[in-house]
Amino acid sequence: MGMEEVWLLPAIPAAAFVVLLLVGAYLPRRGDWVAIAAIGASFVLFFFVLADLLDAVKSEDFVGGGKSWTWVEFKDFHIDLGFFVDEIAIVMLLVVSFVSLMVQIYSVAYMKGDPRYGWYFTVMCLFVASMLTLVLADNLLLMYAAWEGVGFCSFLLIGFWWEKRSASEAAKKAFITTRIGDVGFLIGIILLWREAGTFNIQEIIHFAEEGGYGNTYLTIAVLLLFGGAVGKSGQFPLHVWLPDAMEGPTPVSALIHAATMVVAGVYMVARMLPVFVAADPIALDVVLILALITVWISALMGLAATDIKRVIAYSTLNSLGLMFVALGSHSVTAAMLYLFVHGFFKAMLFLGSGAVIHATEKQDVDELGGLAKKMPITSITFAIGAAAMIGIIPLSGFWAKDEVLTATDHHQNIIVYLILLASLVVTGMYMARLYILTFLGEPKDHHVYDHAHEAEPIMSVPLILLAIPAAIGGFVVFHEVGDTLGFPGGFGEFVYFDEPEKFKMHWDTAAISTVLAGGGALAGWFAWSNGAAIATRVRETFSPIATLLSNRFYIDELYQFVINNIIIGLGKLIAWFDRTVVNDTGVDGSAGLGYLAGNELKLTETGKIPNYALAIAAGVVVILTLFLVLEA
Amino acid sequence: MIPLNHFLVLSTILFSIGMYGVLSRRNAVLILMSVELMLQAVSINFVAFAAYLDPEKATGIIFAVFVIVVAAAEVGLALAMILRFYRNRQTANVDEADMMKW
Repeated sequence: MGMEEVWLLPAIPAAAFVVLLLVGAYLPRRGDWVAIAAIGASFVLFFFVLADLLDAVKSEDFVGGGKSWTWVEFKDFHIDLGFFVDEIAIVMLLVVSFVSLMVQIYSVAYMKGDPRYGWYFTVMCLFVASMLTLVLADNLLLMYAAWEGVGFCSFLLIGFWWEKRSASEAAKKAFITTRIGDVGFLIGIILLWREAGTFNIQEIIHFAEEGGYGNTYLTIAVLLLFGGAVGKSGQFPLHVWLPDAMEGPTPVSALIHAATMVVAGVYMVARMLPVFVAADPIALDVVLILALITVWISALMGLAATDIKRVIAYSTLNSLGLMFVALGSHSVTAAMLYLFVHGFFKAMLFLGSGAVIHATEKQDVDELGGLAKKMPITSITFAIGAAAMIGIIPLSGFWAKDEVLTATDHHQNIIVYLILLASLVVTGMYMARLYILTFLGEPKDHHVYDHAHEAEPIMSVPLILLAIPAAIGGFVVFHEVGDTLGFPGGFGEFVYFDEPEKFKMHWDTAAISTVLAGGGALAGWFAWSNGAAIATRVRETFSPIATLLSNRFYIDELYQFVINNIIIGLGKLIAWFDRTVVNDTGVDGSAGLGYLAGNELKLTETGKIPNYALAIAAGVVVILTLFLVLEA
Repeated sequence: MIPLNHFLVLSTILFSIGMYGVLSRRNAVLILMSVELMLQAVSINFVAFAAYLDPEKATGIIFAVFVIVVAAAEVGLALAMILRFYRNRQTANVDEADMMKW
């Protein structure tokens, strides 16, 4: 068992999907154990692959291992079905397999009694298989197929309770919005293939590094690739689908819309970063600018949202923005480290909010409050997650966030660094607000409060298991920690873009970021504790801004306006063209012409044999004459 | 020896007479006879070409035999049809045979 058999990781959940799809309804407990066993098997196999990789990574020229089959072959054109694992992929594999296992176990309790309980686990299996394929794909085409696969599963799961109109609309919104980016992704892949003649990621990187692409050509291609990431990873301006995606079951939000699928864009860009760097610097500047906008607008919208899951969704957008800022600063290390710890603490935050929703059947913070006494485990794990998100030392988020800050400090100008630092205050504020309004203070609705209860063990155990890496996961940056675990060193010496870099504590950045994030959290604390007296006053003073924030900058309204007036107008024009030109003139017109011609020409059919004979004779004469004339 | 052209002119005259008969007559039996004339004109061509161009082989002559056989079969079939038509319509005028038109 090793890297050669890495294809088994997605193959097992895929097989479980087929089994559940065919006979799931006849299995005891609707086959939930099949799903959990399959994902558990993938998780166990991960360690064999990891051990093999750690063995291989010692050699100097290691670039990755795996297995590849030829799928389509036509002359010198071929498409491979290949699985490839390297340092970046292995980090992603750990996040995907561990978080999905935790979420599956948690779901057993959360989804209990749902009429489509079996279907839930079936789709989850397909999702995990697609996601692992995406991570392991050695060529862009397979990655794209898996990319659409996870998008499809996301669509199914957001609309899981499709009887609810808002859920089915959110599913459609997510699918269509991400599709806009995916079209760019596909065109980008085709552009890269056209010049390089291969879909293989390593070969494309090689080709780009040797300057095989023209500068403008490559810049357009990578920007189109990034378009896919913008859609999938909810970057401005395609971020609108992610908050709405919270209509799905909460474990789905934890797995798909926090820990795995939405970071696929980050992963893809991290993987293709050598190609981005080979292009014009403007490409990564676009990545950076969109990411900074995303960080800020999501943080501000998080301040005003009242739905507990939406607030966490905004914090996810915030985190994704940070990851892209890191990539825009040429730092795969920072982006992947953030991705790694974010997977744990964000999944935990979502599962914690799921426990709250499960216990209270409410998800509006205005109806919650004081739940810390009733739900101690959920409350403590949630606090760890929130603190990790804010970036409190020594929780995992702190190390990752500081890596991102250091990367911007080194590779970008001071303005970017300062903009990012300032956003930490807002992050601190809205996470503190969410925690206070949900778990502290006086319960706002005593009926809800009285019915609340601690999550059952099958839900709280995954919470605790996720809380451990969320708390201490950041220590992997240290050389000694990595060394002890058998890695070649700290995170930066294992996953890197150019040169392995030993972790160095930047005390200035750490101090400033801690002060700002902690200050933000404290400000949030003062503003929202004691019945949110201060916050209410601030909100009244700056009511236009508050309205702007709670309406999400009117971006959804803007899109709706564009769709209603421009897209539908354009559609009407096309419909008119179709009706009058294509249908009335083209289709009906040609049919009418045929009818008229037939109606007139039928009169020549007299039924009299001599007429026909004469026509034949005349025809022969005409043909013979023509023949003689042309011959002469 | 009679030149080939004489045979070709004869066959052309015969063919034209036959075609004139097919186009101008209304009686089905006469049309049939005219068709026979045209067929025999073709046969003369076959035989003439066979004798002048490739005397070693008898390809043209065999074709002529085939034409005669086909013509005989065709006459049998056509006369039967004309007979049925005459029984139904009490006439052999082909102008009356226009029921199948639009």
